[in-house]
Amino acid sequence: MNIKKQRTSRYIIGFIGVFLLIAGIFIHVSVGSSSISITDVIRALFHPDNSKQTTIIQTLRLPRAVLAALIGASLAVAGALMQAITRNSLASPQVFGVNAGASLAIVVATILFPELHSKTTVYFSFLGSALGGITVYLFAAGGKVTHIKLALAGMAVHLFLSSLTQGVIVLNEDATDVLYWLVGSINGKNWSHVLVLLPWSVFGLLAAFIMGRSISILVLGENMATGLGEKVQWIRLVAGVIVIILAGSSVAVAGPIGFIGLMVPHIARKLVGGDYQRILPFSALLGGILLVYADILSRFIAYPFESPVGIVTALIGAPFFLYLARKGRKIKQ
Amino acid sequence: MKTRRKLKIGSVMAILSILLVLAGCGAKQDSTNEKSSNKQKVAVKHELGTTKVPENPKRIVVLELSFVDALHGLGIKPVGIADDNKKDMIEQLVNGKMKYTSVGTRQQPNLEVISSLKPDLIIADVQRHKAIYKDLQQIAPTIELNSRESTYEENIDAFKTIATATGKDKKAEERLNKHEETIAKLKKEVKEENGQTILPAVVRDTSFQAHTSASYDGGFLEKLGFKDAVQSKDAYAEMNLEQLSDINPDILILANNEGKLLTDEWKSNPLWKNLKAVKNHKVFVVDRNLWTRFRGVVSSEAIGKDTVKLLHDQQK
Repeated sequence: MNIKKQRTSRYIIGFIGVFLLIAGIFIHVSVGSSSISITDVIRALFHPDNSKQTTIIQTLRLPRAVLAALIGASLAVAGALMQAITRNSLASPQVFGVNAGASLAIVVATILFPELHSKTTVYFSFLGSALGGITVYLFAAGGKVTHIKLALAGMAVHLFLSSLTQGVIVLNEDATDVLYWLVGSINGKNWSHVLVLLPWSVFGLLAAFIMGRSISILVLGENMATGLGEKVQWIRLVAGVIVIILAGSSVAVAGPIGFIGLMVPHIARKLVGGDYQRILPFSALLGGILLVYADILSRFIAYPFESPVGIVTALIGAPFFLYLARKGRKIKQ
Repeated sequence: MKTRRKLKIGSVMAILSILLVLAGCGAKQDSTNEKSSNKQKVAVKHELGTTKVPENPKRIVVLELSFVDALHGLGIKPVGIADDNKKDMIEQLVNGKMKYTSVGTRQQPNLEVISSLKPDLIIADVQRHKAIYKDLQQIAPTIELNSRESTYEENIDAFKTIATATGKDKKAEERLNKHEETIAKLKKEVKEENGQTILPAVVRDTSFQAHTSASYDGGFLEKLGFKDAVQSKDAYAEMNLEQLSDINPDILILANNEGKLLTDEWKSNPLWKNLKAVKNHKVFVVDRNLWTRFRGVVSSEAIGKDTVKLLHDQQK
């Protein structure tokens, strides 16, 4: 009876989530510098004509909304995977230097090869995020590292890589253009960017969902997982590669949007319990929702001009991070 | 063990002696500062206070390009320029070769090089160099003026202040009168376009930055009789294609960055093709140095001439 109840409540949460996401995309598409009503939005989506409104929605606003949902989902799942493999509730692509590594690699790449297409910069991004992630992971692999210490090590690597990025920018006057991107922004993106991101994030998300069961067992503890016949090192490695694919491709397209990967897995865990077979898809859904709504808010900061969405996620995320750090301390005491 | 200790003592001695030599250098510098202070001084009011500047300074270091333009207009050659290590950019600004020492980038000028030039006046940008004002003051009398994100009017004020600091007030007055005449002449030449909306913008890989009525180039174009398509208190505004199509300016002036451009992606979009400026072939790509970096009396006249030429060539 109880199990049945839980299942129905999960269905309800899932249903509400999907509804919120679709509603969010509709609102997202209807908000912008030129006012377009919801009815016009629906007409432009389902009965497209040659009007200016249809063009605005189909070529500018819709790809941006889709991108927000995809990136939110990717970063959230990357965060959930990192929290699982490090068994650290403060883990996320941002806190553990993955985003900072990717940013550094992309800034260096755009300075060295200014003509590079974003299809290619993705690979630089993978390299950079791997560099950042592996550095922090080596601290974790030593074992016996407390959560806070690991988070501190991650922040240290993050700050070190960020300062290198800043250094590169200071030394190249032309690179100051990158500053806006560095906060994390999906302003002005179109379908070509969606096409760059889509294969990577679909592959990464599906692979993560398939691994859900193994990840859940891994979280139980290394000995238990080995006892249950799981190849712990392999799971860690594959999950790490998925993190790099998801976070790296997101950063390559939209810059290092922070805090999504940190917050969302916690909310998902609260809603659907500790099983990663459920946490991962729910994280994807919630991450998409969060970034879509955050991007709607970002448009009102300096309306009618654009502000990077990274500002909004940082505004929500920084207090959340502090809350988590406090909670962690209380449990220990 | 013994040799290691000896080594230690030796290295300490070495460090100490280096410090002594350095201190000696410092002392020497102080004495030169005193020497220059014997001269007559002029009090110059600027954005961060009042600085006493020696009369008719001979060795001037400037940390922004607009100040190079101002000195050029007054017939003075600076000894040091923060030129971002681009000599050809300075040659373009003063329209010829000029001997000077580069003091590094505008953002991070090299204080050691500046002090090695033994300047008697430093002109710095109040936005970029506010934090190093005290350091600069220790090297030589420093005035901080509006340059980056300054309006056209603020730029003229800065020009006047530089004239006062260099004892060229009369020359400045003459030059500004000539400037007004030039503007009046240019304004007549673009009479047909009077009142049309114009939007200068810097285009980069991922951003389209409109220069508003509060920007230097926007303000100057309004002087010529155009209307900046974005009226704002902030000099720059980030824009996307949707906003651009809403604003839909009559004339679009693009100062492109090197490398990939955001507008390359926009060009395939019907919204871009339907822009008034695109349909009427009034999209002009201009030199980014001249239009957005130099910002001065002399170069603004060149911007004006450029505008007239672009509009008239297109009409032919």
